[in-house]
Amino acid sequence: MDFRSFFTRKSKTSDIATQRLKLVLTQDRFDINEESMKKLQFELTQVLAKYFQFTMNSVSMSLKQDGNSYVLMADIPCGRINPDP
Amino acid sequence: MGKVIVITSGKGGVGKTTSTANIGTALAMIGKTVAIIDADVGLRNLDVVMGLESRVVFTSMDVIDKRCELEKALVKDRRVEDLMLLAASQRNRKDDIKPEQMKDICERLKEDYEYVLVDSPAGIEQGFHNATAGADEAIIITTPDVSAIRDADRIIGLLQNQGIDFINLILNRLSPTLVRKGNMISKNDVLDILNIDLLGIVPEDTGVIASTNRGVPLVHNDGSPGADAYMRIARRITGQNIPIPEMREDSFFSQIVNWFSRKN
Repeated sequence: MDFRSFFTRKSKTSDIATQRLKLVLTQDRFDINEESMKKLQFELTQVLAKYFQFTMNSVSMSLKQDGNSYVLMADIPCGRINPDP
Repeated sequence: MGKVIVITSGKGGVGKTTSTANIGTALAMIGKTVAIIDADVGLRNLDVVMGLESRVVFTSMDVIDKRCELEKALVKDRRVEDLMLLAASQRNRKDDIKPEQMKDICERLKEDYEYVLVDSPAGIEQGFHNATAGADEAIIITTPDVSAIRDADRIIGLLQNQGIDFINLILNRLSPTLVRKGNMISKNDVLDILNIDLLGIVPEDTGVIASTNRGVPLVHNDGSPGADAYMRIARRITGQNIPIPEMREDSFFSQIVNWFSRKN
């Protein structure tokens, strides 16, 4: 913040622009379509099924925004572990 | 064997064509052999920006349709040796050309030229895919504003998805005064957001308008801030290690000197 803007107490428009951009780009970058998400869930569960026993339709998966980043959340209730995967 | 560099941006009006003309001319001025392809089929402009409009006889469409040999379709620059332009057809549409056909032209040109620059149209449709089809590397042009940067980010994603990993950024029309006043996104913020390497910064230069009016690329106008920036960019492309200077605001004194020395 420079000398004058300190006294006028106006926030810099460049900072506003940067913040808005960061937010909108996070959304743009993780704008995954439903089909890809289903495919991801299917392929991931194929791998997991080698190690755990679980029912496919108990799995839920989603991308959640956490500030300027996204987290892939997967909820997979596990049953027994498969011996010697 | 040369390399093919696509110059692209996503958003229109950020200076793709001006940058392509200036980088191509600058590369030829430092002794490289250069071919420039206008990939903006239906909305060609590189010929007027370079002042070659009266010399265009054949276009890339004529080459693809085998009405003319590739060598014969190239227009020689009026001022610099070893600088060629392959114009776009004005009466065709972007989807009249297929990516493989553009790739073939690029492959053939890079056998004879050290640098093949492709001026991409705005947008992410067929024209973009044609322009990037034969590219080894990409230069993204952006201006420091939210819409141009957002579109640049989208383009970076598309290029990476296409297997083009060497992507550099040119930050165009930066005004040091506006950055200082807090009314323009700074270089560091743009780089932080886009997370790619910076090839150069081109300051806002009113000389661009005059040079486009004349059809003489800015780099011929030795000493203007824009011309210097493009010359440095060209040298960096050839592998020379030239640091990117911090942009300085014009002092009151230098503004007066500029005002009196302005010929145009």
